[in-house]
Amino acid sequence: MTHPETTGPLLGRRSVLLGSVLAGLGASSFLAACGANEQSSSGGATSSSTQTGGTLTILVEQTTTNFDPAKSQSLAITSLGLVHRRLTSWKVTSGEPAELVADLATDTGTPSDGGRTWTFTLKDGLTFSDGTPIRAADVKWGLERSFTPAFSGGLTYHKDLLAGAAGYGGPFEGGALDSIATPDDRTIVFTLARPYGDWGWVASTPAFSPVPEGKGAEADYGQHPVASGPYAVKTYQQGVRIELARNTHWTKDSDDVRAALPDTVLISMGQAADVVSQRLAADSSADQTAFGASFVSPAQLVQVSQNPSAKDRLVTSSSGALAFLSLNTTRGVLGDVKVRQAFQYAVDKSAFQIATAGTAELAGKIATTLITDGIAGREDFDLYTAPPEGDPAKAKELLAAAGHPQGLTGLKLLVSQDGNGPAQAQALQASLAKAGIAVDLLVQDSDAYYAAINAVNPEEYDLALASWQPDFPSANANLQPLFATSAIGNGGYNSARYSNPAVDAAIEAAQATVDADEAGKAWAAIDRQVMTDSPVVPLIYTRNSFLRGSKVTNFFIGAFPAYPNYLAVGVTA
Amino acid sequence: MTPAAPPPPRTSFGSALVRAVRDDRAATIGALVIAALLLLALLAPVITRITGQDPYTYDASALDPGSGLPQGALGGISGTHWLGVEPLTGRDLFAIVAHGARTSFLIGVLATAVSVVLGVALGASAGYLGGWWDRVVGWVGDVIFGFPYLVFMVALGAVAPPSIPRQVLLIVVIGFFGWPRVARVVRSATLGLARRDFVRAAQAMGSPPWRTITRRLLPNLWGPVVVIATLSIPERIGLEAALSFLGVGVRPPTPSWGRSISDAIGWVQTDPMFLVVPGVALFLATMAFNLLGDGLRDALDPRTARQGAR
Repeated sequence: MTHPETTGPLLGRRSVLLGSVLAGLGASSFLAACGANEQSSSGGATSSSTQTGGTLTILVEQTTTNFDPAKSQSLAITSLGLVHRRLTSWKVTSGEPAELVADLATDTGTPSDGGRTWTFTLKDGLTFSDGTPIRAADVKWGLERSFTPAFSGGLTYHKDLLAGAAGYGGPFEGGALDSIATPDDRTIVFTLARPYGDWGWVASTPAFSPVPEGKGAEADYGQHPVASGPYAVKTYQQGVRIELARNTHWTKDSDDVRAALPDTVLISMGQAADVVSQRLAADSSADQTAFGASFVSPAQLVQVSQNPSAKDRLVTSSSGALAFLSLNTTRGVLGDVKVRQAFQYAVDKSAFQIATAGTAELAGKIATTLITDGIAGREDFDLYTAPPEGDPAKAKELLAAAGHPQGLTGLKLLVSQDGNGPAQAQALQASLAKAGIAVDLLVQDSDAYYAAINAVNPEEYDLALASWQPDFPSANANLQPLFATSAIGNGGYNSARYSNPAVDAAIEAAQATVDADEAGKAWAAIDRQVMTDSPVVPLIYTRNSFLRGSKVTNFFIGAFPAYPNYLAVGVTA
Repeated sequence: MTPAAPPPPRTSFGSALVRAVRDDRAATIGALVIAALLLLALLAPVITRITGQDPYTYDASALDPGSGLPQGALGGISGTHWLGVEPLTGRDLFAIVAHGARTSFLIGVLATAVSVVLGVALGASAGYLGGWWDRVVGWVGDVIFGFPYLVFMVALGAVAPPSIPRQVLLIVVIGFFGWPRVARVVRSATLGLARRDFVRAAQAMGSPPWRTITRRLLPNLWGPVVVIATLSIPERIGLEAALSFLGVGVRPPTPSWGRSISDAIGWVQTDPMFLVVPGVALFLATMAFNLLGDGLRDALDPRTARQGAR
């Protein structure tokens, strides 16, 4: 799901690479910063505590936080999850990958017809914050509403998969969507256009939150939504702060994933990442019950590491988004696979780590595969063995063999201005220069950057620095959004413009595989197949670091989404 | 340069400059610093080759593997890295400052040249010809004078196609926004000169305006033009640094003092030398030009040096 999105953590910096815009599937975050000490989830993680009460403050960089499930790309475990429940959700525990668990539904979905039909049953006795019961029809309405063009912007996995959804324009004008059936108030049946094994995960994306049937027509529904989770929006001050108060209609015994410890959650918007880091490091009384949703930058990491008190309150993910260098396969010499393979050896991944977070440890492990850590079925392999500093001699050799003994010149490397993208790009530029590949940086603000990635332009870039955090912990969400032909342009994130019919067919087959082990093997084979064609150079699995105040409890990061689990966090008096 | 005297020949103008600089201690210091920085800029590739460094090569061995900070005291100052290295990259700060001087001087001096050429041409013609041309130049100058040029430049920097070399864009844009100041000074000096006898005599003998301006007026405008040019250079250098600081100056990895200062902000507490080195370079350059310009103005400007001469 997500990108971190808008409501959640990811914000600001995610943008560094592919962001989340709506594109079809995905989100990514470039995260540039990251890493902290070795603590993965625990170093700074607080003791587990079940003390309820108090006010938790979340400091976020962006100035809008949208609680409209149709428009959100938020992870299941961030701000949106405090207000809305979904059919399924993620159970995240310290150091463990996210586990798909039932939320509104009683289980994670029952497939039939070979994975083409999925049936969910709602728990009994669920109610909205306005006191009305949550019915299957409300989930259906929420999904239908997400097709309305005015409410676009959310994740679109379901839009591509539901049968008969092409051309459907939402319930306000287009009537009902027949592929979502609600035979009674507690049963909802989805008919898909093709078999899809990960539908249970798709059901944890924001659009699977209920919206009371017939409501949600107003454009600012995201500021005063009807809540199904433990909190409801009490006050919403545009661009400044949001106050979430308890939803008295939510019951703890119906919900396995939300601890709902604080009585009040304040989301304080427009807080610059560096300022947040400084404030939380200083830990003044007002900030002791706060945590930062943005990544701690490399300069701040060094500062925090020299401050023992702050160092204890730094939490770093054990792994995270894949940072990679895209080689635009439609551009000139980059169309030659031998030239692209030379890049695998030319890049100095060690310098990239240092540029990212100061040390290899903080930056995250060197990546050689496309499927990220903590994803079922992932196989670790390295088709292009080279030292961490790269092997420029070998790269030159390959370039010469491909007919470029003089090296390459005039390649444009697209990079987003956000985060420390330009610094990372300069590290790549310097290492490519050693292999005789001259690169010019094309630094763009994040809007222009995504516009270039998401649409095929006549003036294409040659190389792009990008990053990808899968929307849900399945290899499907690693590979399909980046390497399927259908993800080129039109809002997709296939930044290498990689198109291989054999890979497309293999992706479709793997998506249709319902058995998880079998699907894992199929995805690992695709990983290898794509790497053989070398459309991208994997760089690192980026670690993310976050700071919390001294009175924040249960602040940890699981093995898969590289973000803190907001649903578990509490405060002590 | 007294009102009734003919213009002094150019050679003595040059020696007047030398004398003005020599007689004023602050101006002498300014001139020496400028000469040193100019040498550094011109010889940057040679000097950095002698030290075995360049501003682009990453050197992980100069960094502390535990933090990414420079290894050693004072930002990693050593026999190899004279001014230390950048955190996270290990690039040599001396090489970055030396090559950054090239960027600053190139843009500062050429942008000033653009301003001076435009300003002298428009100011002298407006002052001498008067009438509607004078009013048009005055209006346009006022508009540009009050224009929020920094905002404009940031916007332009963000949308200008990458095919335009950034240095050229900066020179033209920064230079263009500088001409009204030059034009105002030149116009008022021209108005004074145009009333003087040697100009009137030329007019009476039928000299065409073009010839009068180039032969009679311009040689006498050198004083104010040199002063204002010298005082504008540090402003242009500062403007280039400001734009680079804001991320719309020269593109990385081309070194620029402004960008280094911007990069260094986050490191103030952990690696202050990273900020101090480019900061001092920028300070020295702008200070030196200001000292020199002030000295020249005192010596050459009739209002300060020869009060009552008019």
